[in-house]
Amino acid sequence: MSNHSAEMIKVTDGIERIAHWILAATCLFCLLTGLGFMFHSWSGIPNMLGGYYAALWMHIFSGLAFAASLIYGFFMWKKDCAFEADDAKWILNGGGYLWPTTNLPPVYKYNAGQKAFFWCIVAFGALIVLTGLVMWNADSFAHVVARWAFTLHAMSAMVIGSFFVVHFYLGTIGNPGTVSAMFTGKCSKAWCQTHCPRWLEEKEKKVA
Amino acid sequence: MKEHKMEYVKLIDTTLCTACRGCQVACKQWNENPASKTQNHGSYQNPQDLEWNTWTLIRFQEYTDTDGNFKWLFRKDGCMHCTDAACVRACPSGALHHTDYGVVAHNREICIGCKACTSACPFDIPRYNKTTEKIYKCDLCYDRLKNGQPAACVKACITGAITMGEKETMIKKAYDRVEKLGGKAVVYGDKFVGGTHVMYILSEPPAVYDKLPVKPSVPMSVILWKNLFKPFTLIGMGAIAGAAALHYLIKGPHEVHEKKEGEE
Repeated sequence: MSNHSAEMIKVTDGIERIAHWILAATCLFCLLTGLGFMFHSWSGIPNMLGGYYAALWMHIFSGLAFAASLIYGFFMWKKDCAFEADDAKWILNGGGYLWPTTNLPPVYKYNAGQKAFFWCIVAFGALIVLTGLVMWNADSFAHVVARWAFTLHAMSAMVIGSFFVVHFYLGTIGNPGTVSAMFTGKCSKAWCQTHCPRWLEEKEKKVA
Repeated sequence: MKEHKMEYVKLIDTTLCTACRGCQVACKQWNENPASKTQNHGSYQNPQDLEWNTWTLIRFQEYTDTDGNFKWLFRKDGCMHCTDAACVRACPSGALHHTDYGVVAHNREICIGCKACTSACPFDIPRYNKTTEKIYKCDLCYDRLKNGQPAACVKACITGAITMGEKETMIKKAYDRVEKLGGKAVVYGDKFVGGTHVMYILSEPPAVYDKLPVKPSVPMSVILWKNLFKPFTLIGMGAIAGAAALHYLIKGPHEVHEKKEGEE
């Protein structure tokens, strides 16, 4: 192709996108039903699903699917998301998102912010799943354990929910050309040169 | 606005209790709770603890006081009907709620058996039934109160150890009684969790009694959960969404830059 910037490059494979969407769908479903349980004024959500009892079981099963896709995602992405020395520099420069900066280290596959989001989901996802299991079987645990499980579950939801908004913004309108990575799996070459230059370089070397 | 009715307090004077367990039977009978098959543990205390179908229980306790006197302490255990009730704070469905009388009732129809209340309660009262997947506890015979009748346990008490009436009147009655009793007698219930709607007159300090917290409170975990993490889930998400919108408007989206041939 003569026009290099229009060339589309495969950045994710099918299994990554499927894992991402299962994780995303179950996470959002749990978040919304969870908000329904938290706020009496949001009772419309559980009521729409057939009442609180039905919503609770849907929340539990969605949570189990979330746990399964989380475990799969962890093993799939942990290598690409391992922190490296340059990540600190990237963070200290605000990722180039917050103020003008000229010395951003070139990113491999994922930048430090994306890595931080991944590890946040892994850590608080694990916590929310484990505390959820305790809550589900609260009568089998000491009161003090069960009691804090409810609290830590809510705290994890707060962290995941908040970071999710960042992820959503930067994955869509905040970074034009990014969202296709999770639909068609392809992004433009110019996008790759901006967001994952070292990865692109290595990929092109391999082909050559 | 909810019609304000009289706030009730049920006063249990343990110094008058003979542990006949008439209240325990009356509670089962009125609330149609089945009996449990129990075992003899060498005590009249039966069953051993509160159950989904046992909402009140006389605790039998053998105690030797500081002067070496042996005493048999009886305490009628059951829901204390807190004003600041941790179970009501924790309940997601609204099944646990305060009635016009200030007591904590439970709408079993909408209870989803999430068990948030069982660990939140500082008195360890709500009980979960695995078969019905619901929570059970005393509602101070709300149906009887509505019809101008005292709770079944009050009605059944032959010694006058359990009485019930308007809140302020009962609190005054409790303090008058303790003054008359003298010694180590104390009033238990009005000084914590916003005041309980079940109060005790104890002949010994509260710490002496089995399974009776000295300073009950809404657990810190419940306060953090409901007063911090709950609002900040929405505040956090909203604030970040607002910040993202501002970023988009001020800084603009992060456009990709084309790398020209040969450029480093």
